[in-house]
Amino acid sequence: MKFLVVDDFSTMRRIIKNLLIDLGYQNVTEADDGQTALPMLQAGSFDFLITDWNMPGMPGLDLLKAVRADAKLAKMPVLMLTAEAKREQIIEAAQAGVNGYVIKPFTAVTLKEKIDKILEARAA
Amino acid sequence: MTSPKLQEEFGPIIAALAGALAAGDEKTFYAELDSLVEQRERSLFGELRKLTADLQSALVRFSVDSRLVDLAEKEVPDAKLRLDHVLKMTDEAAHRTMDLVEQCAPLADRTAKEAAEIVEMWRRFRARSIAVKDFGQMVQRMDVFLESASADMGKVRGNLSEVLLTQGYQDLSGQIIRGVMKLVGELETALVELVRLSKGGPRASEAGADAPAASRGFGPVVPGVDHGPAVGDQDDVDALLSGLGM
Repeated sequence: MKFLVVDDFSTMRRIIKNLLIDLGYQNVTEADDGQTALPMLQAGSFDFLITDWNMPGMPGLDLLKAVRADAKLAKMPVLMLTAEAKREQIIEAAQAGVNGYVIKPFTAVTLKEKIDKILEARAA
Repeated sequence: MTSPKLQEEFGPIIAALAGALAAGDEKTFYAELDSLVEQRERSLFGELRKLTADLQSALVRFSVDSRLVDLAEKEVPDAKLRLDHVLKMTDEAAHRTMDLVEQCAPLADRTAKEAAEIVEMWRRFRARSIAVKDFGQMVQRMDVFLESASADMGKVRGNLSEVLLTQGYQDLSGQIIRGVMKLVGELETALVELVRLSKGGPRASEAGADAPAASRGFGPVVPGVDHGPAVGDQDDVDALLSGLGM
């Protein structure tokens, strides 16, 4: 399973990458904003996208919308992992087609639960 | 009594008008009349231009003033709260990290010490120079050691993961500091603009930054800084999403 982790803070990318490796997902690539991530998604064979919201360049919500608007990527599981905690934002992300929403600071257990849940729903 | 300025400005034209009227010179009369009207219009437009410039300058000053008032009354105190929160967050993260490291140290020490003691017996066993009594003791100690090492290292591994997660404060505090830096930049622009206006200079830039686009996000929630209804924790997020059928 190939993951793309998008966050503008390199510390957060390292944290997520390490947690994913702990969960047994060794194949993790990083990008620092939506603008960098989108061509990587279009060119690569990623299976799962984990993205922050608030980033310079292209924010995560716009990346999510771009993914859903791209016929080849439209079905990709997307987990939003962000400090954005306004109710209207969570609703907006849900309406844009996010598969899971985790707010920072988060725990390893929460990350695992959400990834498992998304993968289970896809397998069903 | 007319003022000398009026005399000087309109006297010659009016004299010319009166002369043309008396002489019955219609062409000259109308030419002088047109010139009089044109002169009057010119001065009126001049006044109007000045009035417009004054109004524009007053509006610019007002917008800079109101932005500064807003910055001083609301956003600077908010920025102090934000920086306080960063201080608290970094303090908590540093202590949490040190707590976890302090918990790990004795576990690692115990494992290393026990292993070193067993190694000595193990060497004698490998050299076939261990007494039967000591062999029984070694096996017993190994049983205890393997069990405790497994539990201790499991705990150390868990703590290491926790230390890793704790570093997430850098992202959250970084986002808040970026917001405050943006505010300082905005404050600087408004003050520079105010100085420029007080010197009567031309307007350099639009005062006040653009409102943040909602799609860009608002950054982490800071206690005491209200930006509308926010969820408290992951359970609230899950409840909200489940209410939306997710």
